[in-house]
Amino acid sequence: MATIQFSDVTRVFRRDGKDFLILDGINLTVQDQEFVAIVGPSGCGKTTCMRMAAGLEFPSTGSVKVNNVVVTEPGPDRAVVFQQFALFPWKSVHENIDFGLRSKGLGKHEREKLIAHYIDLMNLKGYESAYPHQLSGGMQQRVAIARAYALNPHVLLMDEPFGALDAQTRVVMQEELVKLARKNPRTVLFITHAVEEAVYLADRVVIMTSRPGKIKEILDVKSVRESEDWDQHSKIEDVMDLESFVHLRTRIWKSLREEHAGTDH
Amino acid sequence: MNDQISRSQFWRLTAIGTIGFFAFWYLARVLHFAPPQFLPMPHEVLAKLIDLLYNPFAGYVLGDHMLASLQRFGMGFGLAALVGIPLGLAMGWFRLLDDIVTPLFDGLRFIAPVAWVPFAALWFGTGIGGPTLIIFAGAFPPCLINAYRGARNVDVRFLEAASMLGVGNFRTITEVLFPAAVPSIIAGLRIGAGLGWMSLVGAELIVASSGMGNLIVRAQSAIATDTVMAGMIAIGVVGVVIDVLIRRLERWLLKHRNA
Amino acid sequence: MVGVTTVVVFLVLWYLATTVTGLVNPSRFPRPNEVWAAFSFIQTEGYGNGKLYQHVFHSLQLVAMGFAVAVSVGVPLGLLMGYSRRAEALINPAFLLLRPIPPLAWIPLAIVWLGLDDGSKILVIFVAAFVPSVINSYTGVRNIEAPMMEAARMLGVKGWRMVAEVLVPGSLPMIFTGLRLSLQASWTTLVAAELIGALYGLGSILNQAAQDIYPAMILVAMVLVGLCGAATTWLLGQLENRAMPWRKGRVAA
Repeated sequence: MATIQFSDVTRVFRRDGKDFLILDGINLTVQDQEFVAIVGPSGCGKTTCMRMAAGLEFPSTGSVKVNNVVVTEPGPDRAVVFQQFALFPWKSVHENIDFGLRSKGLGKHEREKLIAHYIDLMNLKGYESAYPHQLSGGMQQRVAIARAYALNPHVLLMDEPFGALDAQTRVVMQEELVKLARKNPRTVLFITHAVEEAVYLADRVVIMTSRPGKIKEILDVKSVRESEDWDQHSKIEDVMDLESFVHLRTRIWKSLREEHAGTDH
Repeated sequence: MNDQISRSQFWRLTAIGTIGFFAFWYLARVLHFAPPQFLPMPHEVLAKLIDLLYNPFAGYVLGDHMLASLQRFGMGFGLAALVGIPLGLAMGWFRLLDDIVTPLFDGLRFIAPVAWVPFAALWFGTGIGGPTLIIFAGAFPPCLINAYRGARNVDVRFLEAASMLGVGNFRTITEVLFPAAVPSIIAGLRIGAGLGWMSLVGAELIVASSGMGNLIVRAQSAIATDTVMAGMIAIGVVGVVIDVLIRRLERWLLKHRNA
Repeated sequence: MVGVTTVVVFLVLWYLATTVTGLVNPSRFPRPNEVWAAFSFIQTEGYGNGKLYQHVFHSLQLVAMGFAVAVSVGVPLGLLMGYSRRAEALINPAFLLLRPIPPLAWIPLAIVWLGLDDGSKILVIFVAAFVPSVINSYTGVRNIEAPMMEAARMLGVKGWRMVAEVLVPGSLPMIFTGLRLSLQASWTTLVAAELIGALYGLGSILNQAAQDIYPAMILVAMVLVGLCGAATTWLLGQLENRAMPWRKGRVAA
């Protein structure tokens, strides 16, 4: 059972003697093997939520629990995929994926098997000895995802992972991630500001208000996806054409637009 | 990085570190790491420093020694800046000049400034020319290199605009390259000042009859360790003051440009 | 090609100025043939207590020793100060107090403590090479991007593995910058220390030649100082290239 639980979480940020309220009373539970996306205007604190689950930041009040254990520090059980990839430039693709595995005390044979499996899965075959700077952005992010998945984490945390990629690569990555997520379901918390991405990938979409961030609405996408059988379409553009998809997307856009209007953007 | 400690914790540890340094110094004496005339206690050094302000050593009081050093420094550093900066800018603009000067410069660059001392003594005797040459040898490379880099890194669009407006070579260098290269030039001045100050001390250790370098080397012959240390501290302090002054200049210039 | 021409022109001018026209007084600046003669002399007969290779070897030895000790202490210290704010707070005061004192100003003190032997020279070289190593290693660690550090922590990397597989490789470019500066400082300081008093070494040749008023030998020593500095710097550059094999061209799309 791998759940993420935010209980009455607030986060206050102190800068130059002033206090900024980033998050205000967040209550959210991500169920086991559920894919939850958080969308919201810039500065609403959605990334902060993810970082608290990761153990990179801590709530001012309230608690963040993964598997009913309060998060105190980062660790491989809560794997993170960063927007900037955060691969180590001095390690090859193979070594980058291996790096986290070594902390888990796995034997060499086991590690090699895992690495080979994920390299194959993420279409990285042939690039095992390449260094990150020799790869395109999309390839690098594939390595980062492989690295995270290979850890077999309880929870996967993704911080706008496709934000730094160009539009075409982005689409390809979204399709790949969907396939991966359906094949290897995991508890995922996915942060994005791209509404379509959220609707396409997630089981539930959480909409946040502008700062101080609160949860405005939570939409259930999974039931719509299953009843309308989106997964029969392998191409993303076909899914995005469906009426049910457009309906959800527009609903979220409207909700976000209210937030933007409110903050004078 | 890893441990985030609070401001107050940071300053507390800094205080401990400072006290620890002096405690270690005193301890070294107490434990007889070295005999008293080789390792004076901190307060003895301070007392000597103050004493030197009024009582001459090696012919002059501290103030006069410092003045002599600063005079030489001023000449050498001033010359290095006055020659290095325009030359660097010109080299950044005229490719031919760059091609001519760079090989010569690269050849001379690896010769430590102090290695010029024998020739300096030969050519200038004990006059002010000697130390000036050595300070110049130390301060010139950074001034030149930074002016050169600053000129080369100017946004091409400025140069295109200038040529479109029909601006001649001289004015391009003075009115386009120079202002754009100012941050780099100031960085070069700071490095040059540091190296120049160090070269000055080195020169005075060997071929001077006054000045801070001369002071500490005379103190060394007399095994007046407290004077040596007092001199070292004074040299360090003035070096910092020079650096701070140049930083002030940098800040003032940057404010001026953005105004 | 212009470079080669410049050097040739320069040499020709030198020859003309000193030999042919007598514009430059040979007691002030040596003639090319005199320099060559001095060079041969010191190689075969020796000068100032030894032959050329002995002097060069001695200087190289001292630089190597002082540099090696300074770097082996300075780089880890800099890395530690960069990684741990606690370590930084504790060590910084001592560092800030000693740093403003130019390394050359340590020479008299070193002579008081260790005499005119090799020991005092190594001490001064150590002081000179120490500071740039610390500062640049410190900066190197601080410049490692936050996401990378967070990724390392997320992956459960701790202790020695963090140092060896993240901090050091991440700081390596800046560490090498520091090494280059340390090397430069080492040579400058050594020459000065040897000039003041030494039995062997390039600086001692300079000193002896100055006393004997032997301009040709002065020039020989100066050129050698430059060459040794350039050669050791080149070696460091080669090491740098080999240490960071990941910094090359682009491969995939």
